[in-house]
Amino acid sequence: MTTLLEVNEIQTYIGQYHILQGVSFQVRKGEVTVLLGRNGAGKTTSLRSIMGLNPISDGQITYNGKDISKLATYHIANRGIGFVPEDQGIFGELTVEENMKIAMQKQDEETLARMDKILTLFPDLKTYWKKQGGYLSGGQKQMLSIARAYLNKNELLLIDEPSKGLAPIVVEKVMESIMEMKDETTIVLVEQNFRMALGVGDTYYIIDDGRSVGTGNMKELAENEELKRKYLGIA
Amino acid sequence: MDLLLNLMVNGLATGMLIFLLAAGLTLIFGLMDVLNFAHGGLFAWGAYCGVWVYGMTGSFMTAIVGAVLTGVILGYVTERFIIQPVYGNHVQQILITLGLMLVLSEMLKVVFGPNQIVAAPPDYLAGSWQLGDVVIIKYRAFIILVGVIVFALVHYVLKNTKIGLTVRAGVMNKEMVQALGINIKKVFMLVFMIGSAMAALGGVLLAPYSGVIYAEMGMDFAILAFIVVVIGGMGNFVGSLFAAMLIGLSGAFMTYFVPDLSLAVNMLLMAVVLVVRPQGLFGAKG
Amino acid sequence: MLKHFNKSPVWVLISSAALILLPFVNDSRSLMIMITQIFILAIFAMSYDLLLGYTGIVSFGHAMFFGIGAYSTGVLLSRFEPTMLWLLVSIAVGMVVAAIVSYFVGLLTLRLSNHFYAMLTLALAGLFLVVAEKWRSLTLGNDGFTFRVPDVMRDRLSFYLICLILMVAVFFFLMRLTNSPMGKVLLAVRENEARTQSLGFKTIHYKLISSVVAGVIASLSGSLYVLSLRFVNTSVFALDVTLDALLMTILGGVGTLIGPIIGAAIIEVSHHWLSELGKSYVIFERWIIFFGILYILAVMFFPKGIVGTVKEIRWKKKRPSKVETNNKNKRIAG
Repeated sequence: MTTLLEVNEIQTYIGQYHILQGVSFQVRKGEVTVLLGRNGAGKTTSLRSIMGLNPISDGQITYNGKDISKLATYHIANRGIGFVPEDQGIFGELTVEENMKIAMQKQDEETLARMDKILTLFPDLKTYWKKQGGYLSGGQKQMLSIARAYLNKNELLLIDEPSKGLAPIVVEKVMESIMEMKDETTIVLVEQNFRMALGVGDTYYIIDDGRSVGTGNMKELAENEELKRKYLGIA
Repeated sequence: MDLLLNLMVNGLATGMLIFLLAAGLTLIFGLMDVLNFAHGGLFAWGAYCGVWVYGMTGSFMTAIVGAVLTGVILGYVTERFIIQPVYGNHVQQILITLGLMLVLSEMLKVVFGPNQIVAAPPDYLAGSWQLGDVVIIKYRAFIILVGVIVFALVHYVLKNTKIGLTVRAGVMNKEMVQALGINIKKVFMLVFMIGSAMAALGGVLLAPYSGVIYAEMGMDFAILAFIVVVIGGMGNFVGSLFAAMLIGLSGAFMTYFVPDLSLAVNMLLMAVVLVVRPQGLFGAKG
Repeated sequence: MLKHFNKSPVWVLISSAALILLPFVNDSRSLMIMITQIFILAIFAMSYDLLLGYTGIVSFGHAMFFGIGAYSTGVLLSRFEPTMLWLLVSIAVGMVVAAIVSYFVGLLTLRLSNHFYAMLTLALAGLFLVVAEKWRSLTLGNDGFTFRVPDVMRDRLSFYLICLILMVAVFFFLMRLTNSPMGKVLLAVRENEARTQSLGFKTIHYKLISSVVAGVIASLSGSLYVLSLRFVNTSVFALDVTLDALLMTILGGVGTLIGPIIGAAIIEVSHHWLSELGKSYVIFERWIIFFGILYILAVMFFPKGIVGTVKEIRWKKKRPSKVETNNKNKRIAG
């Protein structure tokens, strides 16, 4: 399988804090790559650095064989990377419809077909189509955010902790939707919920203290008690 | 009765002018997090250029177009060369836009001379209508009409077009707008240019209304616009209309009854809002 | 940061010694008057630096406090006897009024963002200007009025020395203040207010103290200013006064105290020079434009000012390192 995204030894500062001190990982086309690690390890910053929201000071990010590390965020997005941020980034005073409309880059057949698929996948969005985003429940916000990223023909989705703060039954729903999208899209997932990560992930990378410290097949990690205890705090 | 109505029309007309100035200020602040202290300078430039064009061509409508164009151009230059280089640094922005304000008003004196310039409405807008007991001065009604049209237009664009959606979304979350593939810098520039054009329009409309224009008028009106922005809620377009009407009306009535206190009353209003509802009377939730 | 190698107190002492001697060496009256003005404006600019440089607050209404001091002194000395006692009372009254006004302005806006403070102070200073213009029975509006001053102050030499002493005193007072534990908190507020707050400091409290102290000192400079002119009119409340303080502080170097003094000297000297030029070339009559442009360029390309830049160069020579201090508003993500 070909590599879609390659993150190579990136360094990121936020203010005077050296958050990423050498994160590297490779994302293979068609896979779900999961970034694991403790709170504050640098997972969110890694995604934000790929999007250009926290620009890197050193290292390289290659997407589809091209260096995107110096590009502006909107260029990166337009190259086909969709982003679902940690706080979902819903525009609270815009309706669900308007939130989708703003994300829609083209109004061709394909996009409309994807819109239909989204609405079957997340019927809630249809129900609350005219409701302001700010009044949605946490799970609905998450679905809207994922839907927004999925609406355009993005080759890669970066999804940051979709299970955060959601009830188990909603987590199931979100997991299902990710499995559904997996067929046509490559996904990088930051996830604290190990069960969910195990459910959808193919490859894992562990990030600790701003560095990549381990990688492998997700199924193998499930059996590697030592790694799990050391970096993830689970046994 | 006659007096009250006249004061009201007067207040609404002044309010509309302040609105044209404050609307741009509030939109720019909401979207770009930039409080443009030079905004009043654009207002004054609109007035001077408009009056100049009026004098050259004799057509007031051409003068309005000229003023709006002046606003667009100055807005572009300001955004590109003054605001962009210090983007993200609040203190620098605040400092630099005040400096620009100074340069803009001094430049007016260099280009158009240091003295006041007289302006009068065109014939078809001069005089008044007599409706029974009530006298309505045409030019004031014209200002109110233009203000309403501009408000409706901008409001429609904000509500119903993709660019309007983008602006509203940008007010809430700039990062996400960019992550959805939109070049927010272009949106910034557009909003800045539109805001400046509105300010310049306000300026040229003021000229025949007050009869004279002078270089410091920008700052005088900018202070009223700031008060409006605070009362209406920073970044709140609709709020700025209501607040501008409030300030315009209170100004008109105060000027008639207790002229010395009119600015003080507006300041007091602002102080009360700052204490009770710092997000503004019409401020959004959260 | 850079404060470990601060030699400015020494320099201030040496230069003030030289300045004490100056009138005895060179007896040019106009030079002495100009330098006296520089001392007064330096006091004003230093008070501004406490706000802008040490607390990170942008005030556009500093003229308000300058004017309060100016009118307190002017009005009291013209209404009562021009004695030292009344002079001191008038200065004290100005300071108290300035303290009260700055306290309430601060209370209203300091908990909100920088924009509010800048805007409100601008509007309030405008209000003071209007009041001064309208309250003609007290101020005679823009025409202003002259008044008599105590004999000691009439003597240009003693006034020169008094202003010099006051400037040095204010310098050391502010130096002390900014190096005190409170000053450290102020700097922390400037760098990152949210974090300072989360460390348990009531930042509003510190910002208030800073704005009151700045207001009081500005009032003192206003009193001295009208003493030097023996005349006061509404121009003491004008925006130009605030802009002068801004320009002096920024050009000289924010957060350095010595910078505003240097800035005051440069601006005052060029004021004179440009108005002289204005007599021969019309364009220089509008010399404010040059200051405005200079100011914009300074903010854009030279934000550390003369002193800050010199310090930075010396610092870089001592130990090259890449310290990043911008982007302070970004959040820290996991």
